[in-house]
Order: sequence, then structure tokens, then C-alpha cells
Amino acid sequence: MASNNESIGKTLGVVVSLCLVCAVIVSFASVQLRPLQQENKLKDIQSNILAAAGFDGVKNVQSTFDENIETLVVNVENGQQVQFDNEEARSAWIKAYDFEKSKFDAAMSIKLTKAQDKAGIQRRTTEAPVYISRAEDGSVNSIILPIQGYGLWGVMYGFLALENDGETVKNIIFYKHNETPGLGGEIQNPTWTAQWKEKELPVDLVKNGAKNAHQVDGLSGATLTSNGVDNTVDYWTGDHGFGPFLAKVREGALK
Amino acid sequence: MADTKEMKSVLFGPVFANNPIALQVLGICSALAVTSSLKNALIMSIALTLVTAFSSLFISMIRNQIPSSVRIIVQMTIIASLVIVVDQVLQAFSYATAKELSVFVGLIITNCIVMGRAEAYAMKSPPMMSFLDGIGNGLGYSVVLLTVGFIRELFGKGSLFDVEIIPLVQNGGWYQPMGLLILPPSAFFIIGLFIWVLRTFKKDQVEAK
Repeated sequence: MASNNESIGKTLGVVVSLCLVCAVIVSFASVQLRPLQQENKLKDIQSNILAAAGFDGVKNVQSTFDENIETLVVNVENGQQVQFDNEEARSAWIKAYDFEKSKFDAAMSIKLTKAQDKAGIQRRTTEAPVYISRAEDGSVNSIILPIQGYGLWGVMYGFLALENDGETVKNIIFYKHNETPGLGGEIQNPTWTAQWKEKELPVDLVKNGAKNAHQVDGLSGATLTSNGVDNTVDYWTGDHGFGPFLAKVREGALK
Repeated sequence: MADTKEMKSVLFGPVFANNPIALQVLGICSALAVTSSLKNALIMSIALTLVTAFSSLFISMIRNQIPSSVRIIVQMTIIASLVIVVDQVLQAFSYATAKELSVFVGLIITNCIVMGRAEAYAMKSPPMMSFLDGIGNGLGYSVVLLTVGFIRELFGKGSLFDVEIIPLVQNGGWYQPMGLLILPPSAFFIIGLFIWVLRTFKKDQVEAK
């Protein structure tokens, strides 16, 4: 019997049929579980926005997010809020927006020139969501900007939270990156992100210790990641990122 | 049909007498990486046990059909498919853990325990026994992982399953956590101590000089 197994026909037959069976099982699992996975991903992003806004230990992410966070859709170019025909179109837009994929959709994004593309992201969407949370009296207490930029190994995705003056940093959170654990991966370390609090834009990452409100200590052993974070923050708070929007905020657009 | 005594030895043998980590020293990499908290260790244990058990079962079911020239590829295909399914399920039902375990779930594919059992046992034994052998080796792996995870989380973070057991200094308690235990190298020390304790009781595991 063993000798039959070694024929070319048998070998091919076993391998091909096994591959078919395995492929069916894997695709079935992937397709069936996708809705749940997407929900989890959304929840993960929402919990990171909440964390950036300063909500700690949130139990029910969905309801806390809905109650406390307002999503603005901003035209990145001129900093104006985008007007939608109705509430449904607006929530459909927000639902369809994806921080990783939308910038590759030609209909809603532009290619950045080399000179503009400080953060190394190649493309950005023409419109982007900005999140705000309000204090109890209804005044805005934080503005959360989605940011992304190239680090050492890949694109880092995160959120930069600013005070309502559009100038003072509240928090910075990276929720997805491929940086080296223990070196560049320390961009997620709470003790490192804590020193961003109360810094004033524009912020630079420096060596040999931060000396004023515009400087943050870079990560030792992770110069390229630090440069990436520096460029990312510069880009997104600059003219080709949310600069125009922030300029309007400083003039009192959200008051 | 195998008698119950043999089934018992196949199932529980690998737990202490022939432990895959402590005696065969397989699967150390993931044991270092995922044991900083008990919850991750538990989920990794369950994932590995399931993968080992079912890959052994399926491989054993078709063992008489597998051409020996491509048997490793066939084993890998089955193991890899199971691992992808486990990863998908984790991402759907336990996203935070899936994110934390990240590559290590994928690396179950290369975990020597799974391949080792497939090649050494499932290729020669009937499906039922192979399944039990997979569970048994999974249990052996789990015992070590949970022990290491227990020690590391309790003394490294003062908690178990994220529930505070020993009040920490930073929360107004008295316990200064041992930072070393959170870092992967500490698992080396704990696994080393585990093997030492095991061999004190089971002298036959000590290698001849």
C-alpha cells in the first residue's frame, strides 16, 4: 500500500485535495467571522480615541463614545467642516471611512508631492474625521486628530489630542505600528507619552533632554522612530495636514 | 482498540513525566513571550492544545494516504489552516488578546510541539490515540505556561487575571512589584526552576553524566 502512495498521481491528488479542503475551511472561517472582527476593530479605535481624550478604564466603549465624543468631518485643505445633505449621509461617510484604506480610494484622496509628504504617507484623504469631546457645560475640552506617518518599519497610526486652544498637546497615542518592541515600540509607553502633556505646538523630538515647552525627549535607541514621530506630528499639525483647521480653531471656530 | 491504561498514559504522560517543555525542551520561544499575564498564557495554552489535538487527529486520519515524500508539507498545511482558523476566532471574540498575542498565535505553526507530535506520533497511531496525545502534550505545555504566567503576573504586577491580589505601592499598598518578572528573560529563570523541581521528584529525567 505504501508503494502506491509514492506515485506522482497519488501525490498530486492528495496534495491538491488537501489544499482544496483547507482553503474552503479557512475561507469559511474568515468570511463568517469578518463582521465580528470589524466591529472589534472599530471598538478598538474608539477606545483609543477615548483614551486620547483622557477617559480611563472605560467599560462600555460604544456607549461612552457615543455620549462623549462628537465626530466632525473636516475638509483638510481649507479647514472647513464638510456640510452633508442629511444626518444619514454624514454617518454613512463616517462609517465608511477607514484610517488605513480610505487614502487609497482615488475618489476621496489626493497624492502628496515629495515636498509636502513629510510624514511619508504618499496619499491623504481630502476630508478627514476630527473628534472632539465636550466638558459638562458644553465647551470643547479636547480635539483629537487622527495622525499617521512612517516610522522605521512601517506606518504608525495614532491620535494626537489637543486642548481647546488648538495649541497645547494633551496626549499622543499610537494604536498600531510595527516599530521594534523595546526601542521604537516605546512610543506606546505611557511614561514617554506623559511628557507630551502641556507641550505647545510645534513640538520637536530632541536628544539630550527637553528644555522648553516645544521639545520632547526622543526615544533612546530609536532615532529613526523618533524622527518619524516628529515628522508625523509636524505634518498633521502643518499646512498640508490639519493646520488650516487648527488655525480656525485658534480663531474660535469651535467656541 | 487501546485499553484505558494506555489511553491514560498517552493523555497524562506528557503533563509531568514527559513534559514537552521541561523534558523535551520544545516550544520555549512562545513560553517566554506570552506568559507575562495569566490571561494570555491561558488563551495561548487553549489555542495550542486545540491545534495540537486536531492537527494530530486529522493527520492521523489520513496518515495511510500521505505520500512520505510530501508528508511534512501535508502536515504543515493542516497545522497552518488550523492556526489561521484559531487566529480568526480570536480576532472575532477576544480582540484585545489577539492584538497582544499578535504574531505568537501565527507562530504556533512553527511551534516544535505541534510538528513534533504530528511527525513522531500521529503518523503512526490511530486517530483517537493521536487526538489524546495532542491534548496530553497541550496540557503539558499548558501546565508550564500557566505556572510561569501565575508567578510572573502575581509577583510582577501583583495581580491575577488583571484582578489585584497584592496591593501595589503605586496604588497605596505595600508591594513593590518586581519589574524583571514582566520582561521575557524572567521566564527562563522560572522554567529553569520548574525543571529543577520536577527533576528533584522524578530522578529518571536527569540526564546521565
